[in-house]
Amino acid sequence: MTRFEYDDSDVVVVVGSGAGGGTVANELCQRGFKTVVLEAGPHLTGPDYHQDEWPAFAQMAWSDARTTSGSWQVAKDFPNLPAWLVKAVGGTTTHWAGACPRFKPHEFTARSTYGDVEGASLLDWPIALGELEPYYDKAEIKMGVTHRHGRPPLPANNNYKVFANGAEKLGYRYYSTGPYATNAEPYDGRPATLQDGFNFQGDKHGSKWSTLVAELPKAEKTGNLDLRPESHVAQILHDASGKATGVLYVDRNGTLRRQRAAVVVVAGNSIETPRLLLLSGSAQHPDGLANSSGQVGRNYMRHTTGTVWGQFDKPVRMWRGETMAGVIADESRLDTDRGFVGGYYMETISLGPAFLAKFIAPGRWGSHISDLLDGYRNTAGMWIVGEDMPRADNRVTLSGDTVDQHGLPVANVHFDDHPNDVAMRRHGQRQGAAVYKAVGAQNTIETPPYPSTHNLGTARMSQRPGDGVVNRFGRAHDVPNLFIADGSVFTTGAAANPTLTIVALATRQAEYIATELTKTLA
Amino acid sequence: MGSTLLTAQDRQTLVNVVYAAFPHSTFPRGPYERAADAVIAEAGTNPRFLAQLLQGLGELDAQRDVPFSELDADTAAAVLRGADGSPFLTAIVDSAVVTLYSDREVWDLLGYEGPSYDKGGYADRGFDDLDWLPDPKIEFEGEVPA
Repeated sequence: MTRFEYDDSDVVVVVGSGAGGGTVANELCQRGFKTVVLEAGPHLTGPDYHQDEWPAFAQMAWSDARTTSGSWQVAKDFPNLPAWLVKAVGGTTTHWAGACPRFKPHEFTARSTYGDVEGASLLDWPIALGELEPYYDKAEIKMGVTHRHGRPPLPANNNYKVFANGAEKLGYRYYSTGPYATNAEPYDGRPATLQDGFNFQGDKHGSKWSTLVAELPKAEKTGNLDLRPESHVAQILHDASGKATGVLYVDRNGTLRRQRAAVVVVAGNSIETPRLLLLSGSAQHPDGLANSSGQVGRNYMRHTTGTVWGQFDKPVRMWRGETMAGVIADESRLDTDRGFVGGYYMETISLGPAFLAKFIAPGRWGSHISDLLDGYRNTAGMWIVGEDMPRADNRVTLSGDTVDQHGLPVANVHFDDHPNDVAMRRHGQRQGAAVYKAVGAQNTIETPPYPSTHNLGTARMSQRPGDGVVNRFGRAHDVPNLFIADGSVFTTGAAANPTLTIVALATRQAEYIATELTKTLA
Repeated sequence: MGSTLLTAQDRQTLVNVVYAAFPHSTFPRGPYERAADAVIAEAGTNPRFLAQLLQGLGELDAQRDVPFSELDADTAAAVLRGADGSPFLTAIVDSAVVTLYSDREVWDLLGYEGPSYDKGGYADRGFDDLDWLPDPKIEFEGEVPA
C-alpha cells in the first residue's frame, strides 16, 4: 500500500473514487503521477455485498443528511433522499446498471438545436462529438462494453424477452441487450456474468465494470496510488495567487488532516461537488471557490425518468439475470413533433419485492398495492431515461441549518420539473405501457421518479467563463489547477445514461492534466 | 422486545393494522406478526413513536363498536383510511413495507427467489426460460438515427 506524505505538494489529490475520480486516478497513475484518492465511504468489496435490497442499500447508499425543496415529486416522497448514490470506494459505479449509449452529435449543441426553450438555461457544449469520439472508444474498450469493439452481446433474459417482443410488435427497430458494461464472456481479468441479478447491489462477481474492480486495482499496481477510504473532504485550500494548494479532510478517526497537492480534481458527484466548492469559499472567493460566474450548483439536471411495469397472466421472473440488459433506442431520436425537445431511452429494470413495494407508489398502502405485489412473478419492468432541461434555479445550495456529522452544512437540492420534462415523461410512460400491452399485459403501472441516480450539470462546461464553471477540459475557469471530473461538468444532459460519457471525459481530462503537469514539474 | 406499556391486545391490533395496510389473502399470519414486532422493536428505541403508537392503536380500537381486530376487512380498511397521513400510521407503513416484503416466507409466497450468488446465479437456473414469447433479436442492423 503506497502512502504519500501529507506535505508532499507534488501529488494530485482526487476527491471521490467513482466513474470520474477513479478513472482520472488510474490514468494519472499509469502515467507515473503520484495520486492520492480521498473517498468519503468505506472500502467494500465483493464478499461484503448483500444480495438483499434493504441491507445493501443501508450498506452502500450515501445516507448522510440532505434536504430538498421545489415542486418535484421526489421532494415529497423522499424529502431527505434526493439522490440514490453510493458512499464507498468505487462510488456509484458499484450501483450503476451498465447501460452505455453515447451522446448524439446534436446533444452537444442543445441550445442551437432546440432553440430558446422558455424557462430553460440551455447552452451548447464547448466540445463536439468528434473530439470525444476517440475517448468514447477508449472508454468502451476500458469498460468492455458489449456490442462494441468485438465484445459479444449479452443473451436475452426473461425481462428482455417481454420488452423486445413488445418493441417489435409496436414497430420499434432499435432494440438490443446493450451496449452494456458487463461481461458476456471473460474480459480484462473480469469473469462473465452469472446472471445473478444483483448488479445494483455491488455485483459480487465483478463482471460489471466499476472503478472498484477495474480502474483502482490497476492504479494500485503502479505503486502510484494512495487510496484513503473514509476520508471526507471538508474544504479545498488555495493561496494568494489563486492556485489550489491542497485539501482539508476528516479522516476515519475524525481527525482533520491537510493534504497538499499540485492539482486538485473534484469528482464527488453533482451534489457533493458543488457542495464542496460552496464550502470552500474564502475572502478571495466569497461566493464559493471557482464561482465568480455564480453558476456553481445551478443548472442541476437529473434526467427525465419514470418506470413502467407490465403484469401478465404468465410468469416473467424479471429478477433473474442482468438488471438493465435491454435498451430500446427508437425514442432517443431528434424529433420535436412529439411535443417536447430531446429524446429518451427505454431500458429494462427489475426490483425485488421489497423495493417494488416501497417505490411503486411511495407512501401508499392498501389492497391496490398488495394486489400488484401478488402479481410479482408475472411482472416485467422498464425505466424511461431522457434529456431534461437545465434551469438556472434548479440548484444545489448549502442548507441553512442542517449540518452533517462533521458540522458541515449539507446540500439542499431544489428542483422544479420543466414542462418539457413532464411532456416527455408522459410520452415515455404511454409508449412503455404500449410496449407491454402489445404482448398481452393485463395491466400496466406507472411509477414516479426514484431518488436521482443521474445527477448532472452543477459545475457546467462553458466556452465563456461567465456561463459556467469549467472549460472544455473540466478545468475551473477561476482556478488553474482545479479540475472537475464528474457529471457536474455536463453542459446539458442528453438522453444517454451518463457514466460512459463521464469516463470518456475523465480519460481525456487526465491526458490533459498529465501534459500540463509535465510542463510545470519539468 | 418492546415496552411493557404495549398490551397483547395492542400487538394483535397492530398485526391487524399491518394486514389491513397490505392485505394478501394467501399469506399466513406469521409474516404480519414479524412485521408488527419490527414496528414494536422500533418503538422501543423511540419514545415519541411509542407514545404515538399507544395512542393510535387505542384510537383505532375505539372507532367502531368492536375492537379493530374484530372488524371485517372492508370496515378495517375504511377505518385505517381515516388515519391515513397521521404520523402514527405513516411510521407503521414505512416500517412494515420494508419488513413484510423482505420476509423470506413472503418471498416464497410471491415466487421470488432472492439471493443467487451462492447457487451460481441464474445463468443455469432459468434466467432465459420464458417460453410464451418467441426469442427476440439481441442486436440490430445499422445505426440508431440521430
